Amino acid sequence: MGHLSGEYLYEIFARQKREDRLEHIGTISAPNAALARAYAWQTYDEQKWFEMVVAPREAFEAVNRDEEPFTLSPAEAR
Amino acid sequence: MSAAEAAGCRTADDVPEDLRDDLASLLLSLADNKRLLGMRYAEWLLGAPTLEAGIACSAMAQDEWGHSRILYAMLKDFGKDPGQLEHEREAGQYLSIELLDEPPAEWSGLVALNFLLDTALSVQIESLKESRFEPLHYKVRKVLEEERFHFEHGRGWLARLAQTPAGLRSLDGALTPAWRSCLQWFGAPDGGLIARLSEEGISDAGPDELRARWLTRVGPIVMEAGLGLAESEDGGAWRSSADFDWSKWDSARRRSGDGALNSETLAAVRGDKNRAMLMD
Repeated sequence: MGHLSGEYLYEIFARQKREDRLEHIGTISAPNAALARAYAWQTYDEQKWFEMVVAPREAFEAVNRDEEPFTLSPAEAR
Repeated sequence: MSAAEAAGCRTADDVPEDLRDDLASLLLSLADNKRLLGMRYAEWLLGAPTLEAGIACSAMAQDEWGHSRILYAMLKDFGKDPGQLEHEREAGQYLSIELLDEPPAEWSGLVALNFLLDTALSVQIESLKESRFEPLHYKVRKVLEEERFHFEHGRGWLARLAQTPAGLRSLDGALTPAWRSCLQWFGAPDGGLIARLSEEGISDAGPDELRARWLTRVGPIVMEAGLGLAESEDGGAWRSSADFDWSKWDSARRRSGDGALNSETLAAVRGDKNRAMLMD
């Protein structure tokens, strides 16, 4: 997924009930954490979430693969 | 008198008669400002700098319209006709801040409305969370939950624009007048409508306390962005050097002088083009 300069990718995780596990629900591009929080909440608004969190993609460490985390297909690799 | 000491009011009829008009006026002012602010957000739906910002504007517009709907509907209990309030008033009858009279020319102008004005409205609404007028309690909570993300959006864009010299100049031009208007909007320190409602336990803060709460929220963020609008005394209370002439202050409209919405804004906010479709 391409993004503007000065923008970063943030991964969004959420759960609908306290007893649920957090699930990865999507990715958003934003220039900072405040906007990532606003965009995530306002974009993924079809459900009533008990909890939503965001983290910069850069924070994720690949464990078993050499390619970058969250890569879906070769075409998406940066 | 504190909110706890005063008798609770379940309906407008329970509110002492001398306070009823003041409370109705405060609710109408919040409704009008939110209706117009929602319109300003909606105007940027297609022109925002990024797709995400456009989506956020759409979400914030829907939130503001929802809040204004709730507030107009509450006025029914005060003997007002929400339909008349929403569709049949003249420009001078809107109790809205001068910042909403015309659309902002630039994105930084919308950011000023988002960060400074939307926060000012939230500070005023938060002061009603334990109001003697009980129908407000649940509604205030719901509004503030949604407003949390408007604040994040405003502060995020402030930080983003402040990263470049041109962005910072544009912000400075937009925030400086909005800053003054928002501080003044909380009203004259003594004797006005906001002071009375606080003394009678309808809200929990008078004008100066509301200004202080607003400054505490927006002050650190505008300072971090590099704008010299507020300062803090050794990391303590935030203050602003602005002082105001209250001689022409209209305590109900919460503005000075006789300016009003421009004609395009009035036609849009009343829904003049849809008049034929109004059912009742």
